[in-house]
Amino acid sequence: MTQSSNSKQPISGVEVLVAENLRKSYGAREALRGLSFSLKAGRILGFLGPNGAGKTTAIRILTTIMEPDSGHFEVDGLGSEHPEEIRRRIGVLPESLGFPKHMTGIECMTFFGQLYGRTAADAKANGLALLKEVGLEHRAKSLVGTYSRGMRQRLGIARAILNDPVVVFLDEPTLGLDPRGQQELLELVRWIAQERNAGVILCSHMLWEVESVCDDVIILSLGQVVASGTVTEVIGQAQSRPGKMAQGKGIRIQVPSESVEKALKVLQETPNVIEATPMDGKAGWLRVEVTESADEILEGPHLNNKILAALICDEVQILRFEGEVGRLQEVFLHLTEEVIS
Amino acid sequence: MNNNKNVKEARLQPRGTAPTWWLVFLRELAELWMGGKAPILLLIYSILLGIITYVMASNSELSLIPPQEMVYELLKTAIAVGLFICLVISSDSISGERERSTLEGLLLTPTSRRQIIVGKFLAAMSPWPLALAITVPYMKVLSQGNEVFGQAVPWGAIVGSLLAPGFTGLGMLVSFWSNTNKSSFFVSLGIYVVFLIPTQLPGHAQSGAMGQLLQQSNPVAAAYHFLSKMLVNNRTLDEFKSWLIAPALFSGLILGLLFWSASSLRLEGGKASKLRSSLGRLLGLSMVAGIMVILSTSPARAQQQGVEETASTMQQQPLAITIDMEYKNVRAGEHILYNTLVTNKTAEASAPLCVAMNIINLNAAGDIVDPEDWSPQRTQYIESLAAGQSAHLSWRVNAILDGDYLVYMVVIPEPAGPDATSQPIASPGIHLTVEKYTKLNPGGVLPFAIGGPVVLIVGIVILYRLRRKKIDTGGA
Repeated sequence: MTQSSNSKQPISGVEVLVAENLRKSYGAREALRGLSFSLKAGRILGFLGPNGAGKTTAIRILTTIMEPDSGHFEVDGLGSEHPEEIRRRIGVLPESLGFPKHMTGIECMTFFGQLYGRTAADAKANGLALLKEVGLEHRAKSLVGTYSRGMRQRLGIARAILNDPVVVFLDEPTLGLDPRGQQELLELVRWIAQERNAGVILCSHMLWEVESVCDDVIILSLGQVVASGTVTEVIGQAQSRPGKMAQGKGIRIQVPSESVEKALKVLQETPNVIEATPMDGKAGWLRVEVTESADEILEGPHLNNKILAALICDEVQILRFEGEVGRLQEVFLHLTEEVIS
Repeated sequence: MNNNKNVKEARLQPRGTAPTWWLVFLRELAELWMGGKAPILLLIYSILLGIITYVMASNSELSLIPPQEMVYELLKTAIAVGLFICLVISSDSISGERERSTLEGLLLTPTSRRQIIVGKFLAAMSPWPLALAITVPYMKVLSQGNEVFGQAVPWGAIVGSLLAPGFTGLGMLVSFWSNTNKSSFFVSLGIYVVFLIPTQLPGHAQSGAMGQLLQQSNPVAAAYHFLSKMLVNNRTLDEFKSWLIAPALFSGLILGLLFWSASSLRLEGGKASKLRSSLGRLLGLSMVAGIMVILSTSPARAQQQGVEETASTMQQQPLAITIDMEYKNVRAGEHILYNTLVTNKTAEASAPLCVAMNIINLNAAGDIVDPEDWSPQRTQYIESLAAGQSAHLSWRVNAILDGDYLVYMVVIPEPAGPDATSQPIASPGIHLTVEKYTKLNPGGVLPFAIGGPVVLIVGIVILYRLRRKKIDTGGA
């Protein structure tokens, strides 16, 4: 994957999107209640929230499809009063992006490239290069109507970056894809951020994918931000609030069902373990809460090794081990439930 | 964070690139024609024209309709169906994209909404010139060498092209505010029917000040009236140019509204407010009430006059009328010629006389005969007959339908005044037996009726084959 030669991408770390106090109402219902956040070039921001939280409204406002009732945002230094110019600098993969069925992949790319001001020849060459980047070069001349869902999503990604955008909005990009398709698409998302140095906003309900690719996270609920920051920071914010959210850092270990009791006993005697409990409905899985002091954060892997070593020493077979994956889901449920209640 | 340099840079339009409306127009054309919607609609249209032309040519063989009227009627159909095709396509142009989720992709590009609308509008208009071109050979064959063909083509093009932008724009406006294709299509269809209703009203509903106003203010009715006067009645443009105002005004207003509202093109259609739906209902009810008033007032007046006229005395006239034929066997499509002799048997000159022909179906279950369909000479007039004088009259009857008929004549002396009546005198009848007979190729129209759709199908197949050569057809 390479970056196209004519791109003028911002320097890493520069803010490419700043939203300030965005508000939007549909009649009496407030969809957004003062959304503020920023995104830096080369970073991936996970945009999370339950259905009706205001994610789609926020995306539509930031992509200039809709106007906010109040508030302001800037993309690459351009204020929201310049919608056409902003559209030149953003790329979007909407949740349900349709393509003209009777056009081929390369015809689509050429058409959209021309709409962004390229000549037909340039748009075609750029389109072919991008189709190659997303692995669709062999189907460039096939009608889009014959594409699988995964191929259409990859075509959507190619379309979203054909103008070398500084900010890319991806709304549920992996929805309906098989595991391999999901993995390939997430690699594309990483590539957009790392190689093309674009800021990426990733809307998804699949929290494991947000955890695995996003640098930062915003959790929305009922139109307002309930948590924001890096994944670790968001988990920390959730733990600092009162409620039944478990404290400390979490890991998950799967052992044979017959070894669960023995494993629990070993874990409870292991230093730094706050609590070890079987996970409901998951045979053999244990959730282990560990302390997270400054020293231990530095020595994170060592702490995990100590816990695993304790189990192995007592001859408990370890089937699987997971780090913090899945932790965000717990945070998400905790924070959104708190706001709703 | 605001950066003026960036704004200026972004505003620079790249050189050597095609304008947005042109790109959208080309994409829409490809979707419309490669997608099959426009070719299929035009194919149906050509089949319909073929059937209409065949039926008209059959009637022409019977001398029922003069070429001017046939060409006019065909042109009316061509315009009505051509407008309908434009309406169907335009009513899908925006709401269809909403349904197929392709509108968002278009709106996310840095193009002006107005240019998107212009491109879509031009593409939706594209079937009209083709519909007109398809009509030309049919008009040619129906005109039978009459000079009306030379007038029908340019006037049809001008009048149809005045109406087509209006109806295309109307469909787009409805589509603009509709969230679903179905609602857009049915609302457009409803409006189209409302425009067509006045053209189908009975003659008495089209007369009078209100009927005239309704006709002249309705763009379709006004266009039809104009064409009728130019093609059938050989009237001049100066006399009837005012009838083109409504079509031109209608298209101008619709296009103005469409392009004015284009900048507010959104991902979601409008939501009907209570006020808007109340106004819609009120408008619909008013139109229905207006049509009912027109339909009801004119016949009532005519009926009242009839009652007054029958309140008069009867007066006998000593006249005789004979026919030189007693019976005749013919085939459908043939005609009979016969003569009548009207004699004044009195010693005084007669009043002016009207001789009328009647044809009665002897089969009680048979079709009712309209003598005007069977003969161009429904009535003939004699100024007066001197005492003992006779007058010969020649008649022609076209045998249109098979069956058993009686043809007889009636001589009617003109009543002496508005308060008097007269006694009609009937002749003996001609027993006319018509055998069923169908001519396969009336007026040589069959090759056109079949050839038109066939040529179109061949064109579509070639178009698709050319397209398939350009794409990779290996499945997903």
